[in-house]
Amino acid sequence: MKKSWLLLFLIAFLSIALVVGCAQGDKEGEKAGPDDEKPAADKDKIVVGAARSISGPLAIQDETCFGPVYRMWFDEVNARGGIYVEEYGKKLPVEPLIYDDTSDMNTMLNLLNKLMVEDKVDLLLAPISTAFLKAAAQVTNDQGYLLIGAEGGAKELEPLMAEMPYFFSLLNYATQQVQPLVDMLAENNVKNAAIIYIEDQHGLEYKNDLVPALQAAGIEIVFDKAIPMGIKDVTSILEEAKSKNVQALLCCAYPDENFLVMGQCMEVDYNPDVILFGPGACLEIFVSDIFGPAAEGVMGWGAWNEKSSPELADLAKRLTEHQKGVRNIDWWGQAIYYSGLQVLEQAIEKAGTLDNAVLKDVIAGATKDDPFKTVVGDLWFENGGVPAECYPGQVGQWQSGIFEVVAPSDKATADPIIPKPAWPAPNQ
Amino acid sequence: MKIKANYKKYVIPVIAILVLVLLIALPYFAERSDSRYTIVLFKTILMFTILTLSWALFSGPTGYTSLATAAFYGVGLYTAGVLGRVLPLPVMVLCGGLASFLLAVIIGGITLRLRGIYFAIFTLSSVELIKHVLHWYEITIAGGRGRPVVRVPDTTVFYVLLGILVLLIITSYLLKRSKYGLALSSIGSCEEAAAHIGVNVVTLKVFTFALSSFFMGLAGAIMATGMVYIDCFIAFDLNYSFFPTLMAIFGGMGNIVGPIIGAVVFTYLREILITEFPYVYMFIFGTVMILTIIYLPNGLIGLAESIRRKLLGGKHADTTCRRVN
Repeated sequence: MKKSWLLLFLIAFLSIALVVGCAQGDKEGEKAGPDDEKPAADKDKIVVGAARSISGPLAIQDETCFGPVYRMWFDEVNARGGIYVEEYGKKLPVEPLIYDDTSDMNTMLNLLNKLMVEDKVDLLLAPISTAFLKAAAQVTNDQGYLLIGAEGGAKELEPLMAEMPYFFSLLNYATQQVQPLVDMLAENNVKNAAIIYIEDQHGLEYKNDLVPALQAAGIEIVFDKAIPMGIKDVTSILEEAKSKNVQALLCCAYPDENFLVMGQCMEVDYNPDVILFGPGACLEIFVSDIFGPAAEGVMGWGAWNEKSSPELADLAKRLTEHQKGVRNIDWWGQAIYYSGLQVLEQAIEKAGTLDNAVLKDVIAGATKDDPFKTVVGDLWFENGGVPAECYPGQVGQWQSGIFEVVAPSDKATADPIIPKPAWPAPNQ
Repeated sequence: MKIKANYKKYVIPVIAILVLVLLIALPYFAERSDSRYTIVLFKTILMFTILTLSWALFSGPTGYTSLATAAFYGVGLYTAGVLGRVLPLPVMVLCGGLASFLLAVIIGGITLRLRGIYFAIFTLSSVELIKHVLHWYEITIAGGRGRPVVRVPDTTVFYVLLGILVLLIITSYLLKRSKYGLALSSIGSCEEAAAHIGVNVVTLKVFTFALSSFFMGLAGAIMATGMVYIDCFIAFDLNYSFFPTLMAIFGGMGNIVGPIIGAVVFTYLREILITEFPYVYMFIFGTVMILTIIYLPNGLIGLAESIRRKLLGGKHADTTCRRVN
């Protein structure tokens, strides 16, 4: 009897799925699109679509990086009554249409196609990771959809920025970050450094930029060693660095490996004067949930904080409030992601249309003299990327629970603490 | 009785031809009705149908659970990345299939002396092994991760996938009806007995394993052209090993129709859940899969069969083969 009920449940579920699917097809005509020919009066919302990794290995980035930002932006824009679009003569609220790409490239591209071709969304938000961005940029560019990057930035995107007029890269990476770091190390009399880098495009790019920059600054490179993704033990590398008195340990890896290196540095009691990590060190949870007082003096790429400007202080406050008081802030990307959404909003208001081709020209047309006004200050694009001077900082250091900007010096919110404090006692 | 026999003889081919004609006409109507996403959706359905049916071609009759599908599919993807710019599309796709075939001969030659869980684990490990070797090569030798892939229109990809599927169905049908199909089933029933009666079990297993991988490689090579960019983590994603296995279980592995039905329903269901319920789709999907595995051991085809029996009032005996422990 039970079995029959379960069979009935399965049949009912499959039938509902079929009906939902058919209904989905019927809805097709209701959605607006960039080439929508509905009369102006009928347009009642701006549909913003995205294929984001809500499940799978990349989901953590949606939870901690761009996700909180775009969700807050939707609420804030709608609370203001929407975005004024001159072509429709009124403010239009923004409606998210977010699909889960399950961290799978093929699914992400399919869903992007669905958003552009079937749902005919007005605007698109970027998917997660440099690899996804690379593929998505080409597909959206071909369809004439604007794509402003989010979590993902690398030298490998530079050819796309130059060749694809609809694609704009947002996040800073090795090109902008390495030199300010090296300048700061040289100013603080750091004599030698060791590089640990992940065997991946990310690690390789940072290592390839760090080596010549350190050499040019007269900082000896004791070693540069690659580690594979998912490595579980790096104590031999750390013991070597300790025995050779390496002053600056620069770890260009992903959060899992960065956290491992950090933990094992404490295990082997290796406390270099400077320790810097790639993605992960810039997250509030690095201090609040993971390392606590041990994070003091640790550096990471980024960077911005509440002292950078009143606008950024307000952004941090709003992000915390929007997450019901949980301070889940990414002190590298979130400010710049929010500024990307502001660029989109201002471009629509300036262009007076949702036509992506016009919006693309408006965004590309911004200059240092006629920039977008965003939370990070004046912002414009050069060859599809953001110039280094627009970022609120490139290197951060945890000092008394604040991710202080320590490089470049003209954006610094505090002086770097070099040498960093000793690791706390094990019981702390 | 004669009418009934004729009905059985013709109804499936007629339905198959009808479905094929509809599929051939699909891009035409999709373009005209401005519903081009239908082609994209059917591309994915066809891809998973090929992977599932290829998997079932070997694992169905022999009972060997291969989890190397992602390896063969990934090799196909990478072949497109490497050769896409220098070879015409049909040759490149064929090379994808042949590369997977050769890899399967090597993997099969090593692993098909293993059985049960050992074989499954080794095939799963082979995906990780290939992924990391390739990753090491790209980072340390080639100096950069990933490759761009030459793009091909969705309609072309759709038709190539459809062609591969038709070829695969014909191959599966012919194999099943041949003495080799019988020999494969005998391996699944009792391998020692099969060897005892003169079946060259190792050669047959390796050849069938490689044949199924050939189709996976073909699918990978053509699918890469829609992906724009691939790297080893995208190409050798373990989901491409697990999904076809689950789809075959979901549909039922007893015949050719089961894996096809499983792949089509599974992919469509996934699509609906991802787009309509993105935050709970994993929960719903997982629940449906657990219920299916527990209560529908013979998959959707088994369900259809039991419904048919109930409708016929139990006039036919249950001839489903069940293993008794």
